[in-house]
Amino acid sequence: MTNVADALLAALKEAGVTLAASLPDDWVSPLLARLDDDPDVTHVRVAREPEIVGICSGAFFGGVRAAGVLGSTGLLTCISELNGLNVKHGIPLFLVVSLRTGVYELQTFQETQARTVLPLADTLGFPYVIIDRPEKVELIPHAFEASRLHKRPYIAWLTKSLLTGAQSEF
Amino acid sequence: MTAEEYFDSLAAVWDGEFVVCALGESANGWWNATHSDVAYYMHGAMGFASSFALGLALAAPERRVWALDSDGGLAMNLGGLLTEASLQPVNLTHVVLNNHCYQSLRGTPLVNGGRTDYASVARAAGIADVHEVSEPADLVRCVQARDRHTLIIADVAPRRGGEGRFEQPPPLPFEGPEIKYRFGRHTERELGRPVFGPRGY
Repeated sequence: MTNVADALLAALKEAGVTLAASLPDDWVSPLLARLDDDPDVTHVRVAREPEIVGICSGAFFGGVRAAGVLGSTGLLTCISELNGLNVKHGIPLFLVVSLRTGVYELQTFQETQARTVLPLADTLGFPYVIIDRPEKVELIPHAFEASRLHKRPYIAWLTKSLLTGAQSEF
Repeated sequence: MTAEEYFDSLAAVWDGEFVVCALGESANGWWNATHSDVAYYMHGAMGFASSFALGLALAAPERRVWALDSDGGLAMNLGGLLTEASLQPVNLTHVVLNNHCYQSLRGTPLVNGGRTDYASVARAAGIADVHEVSEPADLVRCVQARDRHTLIIADVAPRRGGEGRFEQPPPLPFEGPEIKYRFGRHTERELGRPVFGPRGY
């Protein structure tokens, strides 16, 4: 994921992101290493994913563009906070999340996430963009702007085909 | 000491710090002490007012941030102490009003209420400056230390009304989006930079 991680970091910086909060899964870990190393980004590693929701939402009121980076499993731990803070108060929140679904996801411990996360985002009314090929990474700055307009969680999903270069949507 | 006495004492020395209130007792208590429409009153995400305040403190290092938290909130986000310890922003003061119960649920018992030593938990997490207070004057003294990250555990008597019934302060008269826009416009003015864009979002 070396080149993809670099491209993702560049896209976040193009969006104006200067603060990131994260908790890793194996897919997003390379991006987190880039965030650690970038002197222009304050990167906060948290103990549990709902902290990401609070940290990025608080940073919004400091006039700072923030992004959360996490896995599908982590997103599932945040549903109450996303609803009770971002949806209820109308606070934009841009999240970069691994999309642990599709034909390439055969990890036993990701089975239920694979069936759940997309319909859940639809049910909750969270807009999203699926980044499944390297050329789609350039959508991230536009998606970040859209997150501000929509004033709610907005997800940029990262697929395994993005990481492997496979010619498949997911 | 009651939460009301702590809130009144804090309000008396409040000097423009950005205030983030956990939902329930903290939000309603700060509103009743100040009637301020420029604090952030959480209406959800119990436990994560401290994370919100941490993000705000990182984003606005030029201003001091008070997180007015509760023991019920802290119990929901104990892991946040590790994150806070990893950063310890010098402009963040985290106050935990410890009443050993869920006041907003009319005193429903809190897990292990009255026995958990939150100050020791915070110190063990790596937070350097931790205080325990049982008087509003001591809380005031601690929050006026402005040169370091501080976490304060304040021992609070549950609020009781007539005949020993648990009581709640009246709720603040606005919610969600209005809180967001009032607070966001306030931080814009105070920080001199935009929170919202040129089209209002």
